Amino acid sequence: MKINIAKYYPLIPVYAVYLTMFLVGFFVPGLWQLVALLAFYCALGQSWNIFMGMTGYVDFGYVTFIALGTYGMALGITYFSQFAGLGIAIIFIGLLLALFLSTLSALLEAGIALRLRGAYFAIACIGINEGLRHLIEGAKIWGGSEGMLYWKELTEVFGTETAIQLTTLWADIAVFIIAVIAAFINVYYMRSKIGYALTAIREDEDAAKVMGINTTKYKTIAFLTSGWLGALVGAMAWGLKLTHVFPADVFVIHYTVECIVIVVLGGIGTLLGPLVGGLIYGLSKYWLAIILPGFQLLIFAPIIICIIIAFPEGVIGVVKRRVKGTRLERYIL
Amino acid sequence: MALLRLENITKRFGGLVAVNDVSLEIEAGESIGIVGPNGSGKTTLYNVISGVYPPEHGRIVFEGKDITNLPAHRRAPMGIGRTFQIPRPFSSASVRENVAVGAMFGTLSGKVSVDECSEIAEHYIELVGLQAHKDKESGTLTPVEKKLMEIARALAMKPKLLLMDEAMAGMHPRDIDDMVRFLKKIKEDEDITIVSMVEHIMRAVAGFAERVMVMYRGAKLIDAPTTKALSDPRVIDVYLGRPTGEGEDAEG
Repeated sequence: MKINIAKYYPLIPVYAVYLTMFLVGFFVPGLWQLVALLAFYCALGQSWNIFMGMTGYVDFGYVTFIALGTYGMALGITYFSQFAGLGIAIIFIGLLLALFLSTLSALLEAGIALRLRGAYFAIACIGINEGLRHLIEGAKIWGGSEGMLYWKELTEVFGTETAIQLTTLWADIAVFIIAVIAAFINVYYMRSKIGYALTAIREDEDAAKVMGINTTKYKTIAFLTSGWLGALVGAMAWGLKLTHVFPADVFVIHYTVECIVIVVLGGIGTLLGPLVGGLIYGLSKYWLAIILPGFQLLIFAPIIICIIIAFPEGVIGVVKRRVKGTRLERYIL
Repeated sequence: MALLRLENITKRFGGLVAVNDVSLEIEAGESIGIVGPNGSGKTTLYNVISGVYPPEHGRIVFEGKDITNLPAHRRAPMGIGRTFQIPRPFSSASVRENVAVGAMFGTLSGKVSVDECSEIAEHYIELVGLQAHKDKESGTLTPVEKKLMEIARALAMKPKLLLMDEAMAGMHPRDIDDMVRFLKKIKEDEDITIVSMVEHIMRAVAGFAERVMVMYRGAKLIDAPTTKALSDPRVIDVYLGRPTGEGEDAEG
């Protein structure tokens, strides 16, 4: 197959930003946590964009994937730490479990919720998220509402030094790597038949069907991909980094809303949008908490509203219009 | 063998019988007009043929294969293309991308790359005369341009049967004549059977269709060669209206 490199030019600005973030975080003392938080938001925005941005379905239950990813890592570390000699492999087992659990819930949601449209879809997803949380708490699965704590297991396998390294450095680096992969998948989908199909579905699902598009298939592809990436982010940014998980902390719709704000701020269905949105959102939230502790949310909401009014199609949506026809066009997607 | 055969199709929406026991045979190479007043079931019939919803009764046979229970996305690649009464462009996508979607998913081969589909799209965009607009967002086109784009999009699917829904509504009479000429030409060039559905523009039906099926209140009123069908008293009665003074309900 002939690979058209020019299709991937829009990755250049994205990767340039990620590299800059990484270097700043790595070499400027005291900024690593901020940069890690920004990478978390950007990675989530990009992962979520694959489904919502491209299909137009608003998935309020997206946090389910992040939560199950966290549980995947928790289970991996808790139950496989007893097998001496697995070493670093338990982290990868955790990732596999994250993918497995998110696949199960994606298929469950695809079977139930993806048949619905619009608000009904959004509500069904919330229902599944709440249902899972109460199932875990009520049936006392995986520790029930007491959750899982596995710092001890982690230190038993790796020793305290390495465990600290893993949770404070490598978990964050992994989020960067997931963000890089998510960006690539975004471009790959947008430039392939999948992207065309998803755009058609977003704009007019019935017309898409009579054009020969198997809408269920393409929606499921996007849903699964988006869910997997969310689960990987959860496994690393929450599961490995925090070394504990409580259902009341992870099945929280608030995180889905953050994803929505990030993607809408930056530009729905664009590649750079979730990145720019993640940076704006993460930075303003962080700085406002420092400058105006206690008042940050009061200031934060008006700022978000102003940005949405100034850039109704998101920052990148507007930039895209501006650069149309110029040489920059092929770098902005 | 007929290209498309509808056998006693009935489609209900609750208590409303939108299509009532309609049978129709379309031979390859025909140009057929389906006419009828508003609400007579024409668009529903199209939706049943293209698979938007299944009929309650009856069978749809395309090229000898029973497609009654086939989902819409599997019928399109078999060669059933359509346009919509109110154009339904994929608004945020460019004209070229819209037409490329037709080439990408509307054919059976399915092996064509995105770039090749883009080239195929260019061909059909030129055919309908939209080359100046090919990079425009399709949502920004004028209504007539949108209709032309839908035709290009349907043609890119290489259909055997093209179902056109009110393609000429709202057009200037001169444009209608152009469109009729264009349809006749692509029918020959692309070897397509065209079913065109119209509500009010007799000029288009008379100029284009060899045969006309008239629908009224969901049922088939008549299926005959165009001139005969349009001069049938029953058709005049329900559809065109009688000249004043001829009938009792003429003033109503």
